[in-house]
Amino acid sequence: MRERTFAPSRLLIYLVVSLVAAAYLAPLVVVVLNSLRSNEEIAQASMIGWPQQWAWNNYARAWSGFCVAETCAGIRPYMLNSALVTIPATIISTLLGAIAGYAVSLWRFRGDNWIYGIVTLGLFLPQQMRLLPWTIVLRDVGLINTLTGLVLIHTIQGLSFTTLFCRNYYVAVPHELIRAARIDGAGFFRIFWRIILPLSGPILIVTVIWQFTHIWNEFLYGVTFTTGQQQPVTAALIALSAAIADIPQHGVQSAAVIIAALPTLLIYLLGGKYFVRGLTAGAVK
Amino acid sequence: MPITTTRRRLLAGSAAALAFPAFARAQGAAKPRLTAISQWSAGSDGAAITALGKKFEEKGGVWQHSPVPGFTTEMMNKLRAQIIAGDPPACSQLKGPEIAAWSKIAPTVDLDSIVAAAGYEKVVAPDLAKLHKPGGKWIALPLQIYSTNMLFLSKRGMDKAKADKIPVTWADFNELADKMKSAGMNYPLANGGTRPDDGQKFEASFAGISPVAYRAAIMNLDKKALEGPEIKAAFAQTRKIADWCDPNVGAQPYATNLKRFIDGDMGMMIQGGWAQGVLRNAGFKFDDFIIAPGPSDNGKPVFLLNADAFIFWQRKEADLQAGQMLMAQLVMDPAIQTMYSQITGSIPVRTDVDLSGEGWSDGQRRTAAALKDAVANNQAVLSLAHNMAQQNGLTAAMIDVLTEYVKNKTIKPEQAVTRLADAVEGAR
Repeated sequence: MRERTFAPSRLLIYLVVSLVAAAYLAPLVVVVLNSLRSNEEIAQASMIGWPQQWAWNNYARAWSGFCVAETCAGIRPYMLNSALVTIPATIISTLLGAIAGYAVSLWRFRGDNWIYGIVTLGLFLPQQMRLLPWTIVLRDVGLINTLTGLVLIHTIQGLSFTTLFCRNYYVAVPHELIRAARIDGAGFFRIFWRIILPLSGPILIVTVIWQFTHIWNEFLYGVTFTTGQQQPVTAALIALSAAIADIPQHGVQSAAVIIAALPTLLIYLLGGKYFVRGLTAGAVK
Repeated sequence: MPITTTRRRLLAGSAAALAFPAFARAQGAAKPRLTAISQWSAGSDGAAITALGKKFEEKGGVWQHSPVPGFTTEMMNKLRAQIIAGDPPACSQLKGPEIAAWSKIAPTVDLDSIVAAAGYEKVVAPDLAKLHKPGGKWIALPLQIYSTNMLFLSKRGMDKAKADKIPVTWADFNELADKMKSAGMNYPLANGGTRPDDGQKFEASFAGISPVAYRAAIMNLDKKALEGPEIKAAFAQTRKIADWCDPNVGAQPYATNLKRFIDGDMGMMIQGGWAQGVLRNAGFKFDDFIIAPGPSDNGKPVFLLNADAFIFWQRKEADLQAGQMLMAQLVMDPAIQTMYSQITGSIPVRTDVDLSGEGWSDGQRRTAAALKDAVANNQAVLSLAHNMAQQNGLTAAMIDVLTEYVKNKTIKPEQAVTRLADAVEGAR
């Protein structure tokens, strides 16, 4: 009885959802298929097609073979560079953002809303506009053309997002909790470590996913403030695809794109279910 | 007093210590070194600059090339950052009117004496030379040339249309395209839909109809020429070209059409010389296609110049200065230009290089011959689509109009003329 009433509508929902999913996944399917086709095969047939011969060596060339100017080491060294920038910048900006968000939401002080407003202003500045100021800062602190310089940039710029996310999440924490802890003699940092941080799981996962994806995929600063062998993986991908006087290397490009996307995919798979939950938790505040 | 003396001595001592490395450097300044920035990182471009670096090292130099992957904007960001940081590269890739614009930002090297010693000016197309000596002094050197309006014909497409004559004028071209269409080709033209491609459709039309009007309107932004009858005719021709292209290509590059082009499902393509290398790398043979100069209504070849160049930035270090001189000599050297163009599929900047030998294709020979003819008839003009005719901001505003015109078939040629003139006025 019950099953009969819900079966047709369920079917419709599944149908619609499958169609939408298929539309979203189609480009990925093309990329995966092309990563297994040779360049000649793609050029002589079409961008869309089933591999006639599995070209597994696309992956080998993408990982350690193709050349960026004089260096032929594939995508591997650039993956390492990206990791060296992304991991510290993600951790530091998330932690600082959590502390800032906690201070702004749960410790009322003079001008707290102003400070919060100014920090989040950073969200509205286009990347290109900040390029020159960063150039001057990096020059003056002597970090131009270093990975440390990139970590500095991404940490500071990430603060706008991480502070916003954490502040909106912590606003929901009852003030009584803080007051009780203060009566018990706990200070700013003790409350943070003992009470706030243990409550922060979902929002920290959201900020980590957000920051990691953003920094990993960043190109403009990566290519401007590094040189040669220190460039991030996005620069290597562009190097592979931007040759105007050449046949597009769709096979190797596709393989390289898939390899380069793996770390972010992994982060999403591990923390994905918290992502929407954490975002909506802060959305209405 | 003894204290002061010590202090003075200390100061003198440290000054000497500071000065010493500079002195030592000056003493052993023989080894030239070059720091270079370019966007050439992959494919034949990457291979060509790597080969140039090898030659530099063979001459005893230290080659420090940092490719900036991506497009011109990324490289310019990098260059700006290096200049602001007080560490400009000894030389960097730059082209067209941007050379003049950037030369105002930081001091450049005066190359006049070395260019004169090589007798280089005599063998460079005059419009091209002008771009590299803003303010009358050579500060940059062109390296290779492409024409953006070569006509590629598919052998099988020609057979299908039972045609054997290479079109010379736009009327010939239109006739052949119609013939191909009636022979069953839905889309006789294999061009793509990127911004530069749309710009090329227009500039090939315009310069082919009247190189004089093109020079006045596009290069000199003459108001009368911008609203003249030739530019209207150029838009009308561009519309024909657009109608013969496959609209499903969207914003993709022409390379996606190459298979259909070679198979004879598409018959022609207006493209830069670089397409030759792309076709060859895709495994197609020289027998599969013909390359000829783009249509020109007065029958003499019109050459839309696109040239890559290096600009040289002032450095105090003796080794970098020596490196700059060595690099300048290499870039002007006919043997080096030959090596470079044979890798990329371009033609040498020098008009006196002999292309009859091995290693050159018929397409390159025809391109070089077209350049010579065009220069002799004053029909070598600068490409708008590839940032040679105007600075980036103006170019972008003009290409906006052109690409919209190509894609939106409800815009009439006379409306496009007004729009282009307005865009020029607005961006100036």
